[in-house]
Amino acid sequence: MLEDKIIEVKKLKKICEDKTILDIDQFSILKNKFNFIIGGNGSGKTSLLNILSLVDQNYQGELYYEGHKIKKDQQNLDLRRKFSVIWQDPYLYRGNVFYNIALPLKLRDFEQEVINKKVKEIAAKLEITELLEQSAYTLSGGEKQKTSIARALITSPEILFVDEATTNLDEESIQFFNSHFSNLVTDEMTVVMVSHDRRQIKQLADRITLLKGGSIDTVKTVNNFNFELFGAGIDTPLAELV
Amino acid sequence: MDYYTGAILRALQLIFTLDSELIQVVTTSLKISISSTFIASIISIPLAILIARNKFKTKKFINIILNTMLSLPTVVVGIFVYSLISRRGVLGEFDLLFTPLGIIIGQVILIIPLITALVRNVIFSMDEKLYKTATSMGASRSQKFKLLILEARYGIIGAVIAGFGRVLGEIGVSMMLGGNIKGVTRTITTAMSLETNKGRFAFALSLGIILLSLSFLINFVTYFLQEGKNYARR
Repeated sequence: MLEDKIIEVKKLKKICEDKTILDIDQFSILKNKFNFIIGGNGSGKTSLLNILSLVDQNYQGELYYEGHKIKKDQQNLDLRRKFSVIWQDPYLYRGNVFYNIALPLKLRDFEQEVINKKVKEIAAKLEITELLEQSAYTLSGGEKQKTSIARALITSPEILFVDEATTNLDEESIQFFNSHFSNLVTDEMTVVMVSHDRRQIKQLADRITLLKGGSIDTVKTVNNFNFELFGAGIDTPLAELV
Repeated sequence: MDYYTGAILRALQLIFTLDSELIQVVTTSLKISISSTFIASIISIPLAILIARNKFKTKKFINIILNTMLSLPTVVVGIFVYSLISRRGVLGEFDLLFTPLGIIIGQVILIIPLITALVRNVIFSMDEKLYKTATSMGASRSQKFKLLILEARYGIIGAVIAGFGRVLGEIGVSMMLGGNIKGVTRTITTAMSLETNKGRFAFALSLGIILLSLSFLINFVTYFLQEGKNYARR
């Protein structure tokens, strides 16, 4: 149904140096759901996420947000400010953790008092309050990712894009992410998640889209996803489980 | 040997007693060098970002020209600007020859390639994720530019300081376009040349010590900004 779709993609093509990275006829993101995008290396997952999050506006085809066509030649600032992205390998700016978490609010001209309050709240949720004054360059991988999650969530985005957020993390950090993530995301939030982690898919997914060679291979809802296949062994390719 | 020892002692005496003539030469030199570095930086920094961040057909050619101009001899710049601002030149009516402004024009042309190339390298080496993250955080074009400058600030300051060092120590442009007029266009380097020829070795030596100290300070600051504690923490 149209009202369920927050983002729609039509005849999307992404070509890089004469190579077709993405070729998708039709694809949509369901509102207020956990939308998972899975696929092997080079299947175009991150390229698709970059386009959906408006980080990359250099593509062919059409993108719709709640039925309205997104114009590629514009900054789309208002729309971009409804989105947030958690990257696989987060980039933190020079300065301390507080500065990094506060940045999206500063860019939106929030008052310092509001910024202070919101940063403290989100830092407490992610258990990084004691790191707020620490330089971002001294953080461990897990602490960096927690900071970037806090930075992405501080604006309470309408759509949260997550690009393999746990791939480079240690087991402890992955467990923290998996156990806390669903609590950090509100019911009003739409999540688009690129992930290889079967536990995350099992725990969170509402809909799973499998990409193969830049095209959509399969789309399944959580109801017809065979969870028993998770017991098939860790080496079984994820694509075979869908 | 006594002559040189005496000259060194006299030079140090001139420095520590803040000799008025010495101070005048140094302040003239600093005023001109700071002005030309400031103007060149305003032109070079946006130009460097434009070159580093954009794809265009002539980019390779521009980069080659830019790299070639890094070793531009000061006298070549001097002759070029001289032909523009001398009486018969296209800018002759403005009477810029043998004025501080004349030297500044020459020095700006001299260091634009240097600052542009250094800043270009700094921007080019910045992590691509910086731009993606800024876009994903909801930054406007001007905010992205500001974030980029803030992230690259130490490298940019290093490039500007390198440009300042180059103009402070150059003699070709200052001599040809300034004319070495006392109290007006007499800079550290032109004064050193003149005073040595006149036999005022101690005075020239005192200027040399000051120039060397300034160069050391410039290099120390540049090293600290680019390789020092803050940089190593990245």
